[in-house]
Amino acid sequence: MNVTLWGTRGSLATPGAATARYGGNTSCVGVTGRDGTVLVLDAGTGIRGMGATIAASACRVDILLTHLHMDHIQGLGFFAPLFRPDLEVHIWGPVSSHISLRERLMRYLSPPLFPVSLRELPCMITLHEVPCGDVAIGEFRVTSALVCHPGPTVGYRIADTLGSVLTYLPDHEPALGSPVFPSLPLAWTSGGGLAAGANLLIHDSQYSAAEYPSHVGWGHSSFKDALAFATLSGVKHLVPFHHDPSHTDTDIDRMMKEAMAEMTPACRVTTALEGATFQI
Amino acid sequence: MIDSKSIQIILARQLASCIATPVLLVDAQNALIYYNEPAEAIFNQRFDETGEMPASEWTSRFTAVDDDRNPIPPKDRPMGRVLAECAPVSRTMWMRVSGGDWRHLNVTAFPLVGEKGQLFGAMSIFWAI
Repeated sequence: MNVTLWGTRGSLATPGAATARYGGNTSCVGVTGRDGTVLVLDAGTGIRGMGATIAASACRVDILLTHLHMDHIQGLGFFAPLFRPDLEVHIWGPVSSHISLRERLMRYLSPPLFPVSLRELPCMITLHEVPCGDVAIGEFRVTSALVCHPGPTVGYRIADTLGSVLTYLPDHEPALGSPVFPSLPLAWTSGGGLAAGANLLIHDSQYSAAEYPSHVGWGHSSFKDALAFATLSGVKHLVPFHHDPSHTDTDIDRMMKEAMAEMTPACRVTTALEGATFQI
Repeated sequence: MIDSKSIQIILARQLASCIATPVLLVDAQNALIYYNEPAEAIFNQRFDETGEMPASEWTSRFTAVDDDRNPIPPKDRPMGRVLAECAPVSRTMWMRVSGGDWRHLNVTAFPLVGEKGQLFGAMSIFWAI
């Protein structure tokens, strides 16, 4: 599969010279299979750019939302394929205990926050509530599970027919409640089942180790904890993701260098850069 | 992919590991999957030594009787009732572990139910009377 990072920033879009290299668009990752299956992971502001790359011949796109915080859905209304009447768009996202996915999405995709209502979009939309076990989407097997982040939030494990696995955990705090992380086996660690042995893990790394103690419970990880989680999970390649809007490119370089010096991870590590592509 | 615990169970254990109230956790099959340090002090048994135990094992190792010293079968103990009825249960009982000292306990157990109504297990909090 081909994996492209269209938005790597967390919390708030952060354009400008100081963030130009790692990118300012919020979370969006495109996944394309050998047979042409297209998955869109989250609909942050990065999705606008990805929308322009969807082939006119495509007849189906699946958008997999991890949760409904604004930085993960803000670009949805600007995803041009939604305005194609001939296109099937499947949106997968978590429910709350009392409000359906449709109702929750419509809180944003309706006036006054957005001029067009979800039901007025020309494409053929189908909504799917997750987690819902293993599902086949085109040539992929997709598994979702709730993970540690405020509000209903899932992570995704995407496997292709050759057995390659991408795990996407953009907003994830597996260290919550652990005085020393990791202190428990993988089965007892949030997201562990999704990430086990993945070829590529895209994982939250919003904070430096020094910043994390004052943000415990906010649902995000430090670079150091992301490296520790990747090591525990036995992944082959980690992509630290969801950069804090207050961090400049220079800050991210420094944080990565500090974390790598302390942890010496067993896997390859490539900090998420907007526009980067990976073939797995 | 490994067979990992649900986030509800993981967070329940993390909460239990951070509080001074004795806590015991079972999964939906009534397997004992965790008890915290304050519970270890009451049971005089460390979780690290026993590890997880299937229902048949822990309900025989943890002996329970009512206030009149009549044995309480596993299905009538708080965890058994919570899983069967999917509703909270509170009662007093006497308990001992592996032939140790009897402890008089006040137990409150409640189900851990997910967003779609799935039963993940149960948590009991208890304290010595």
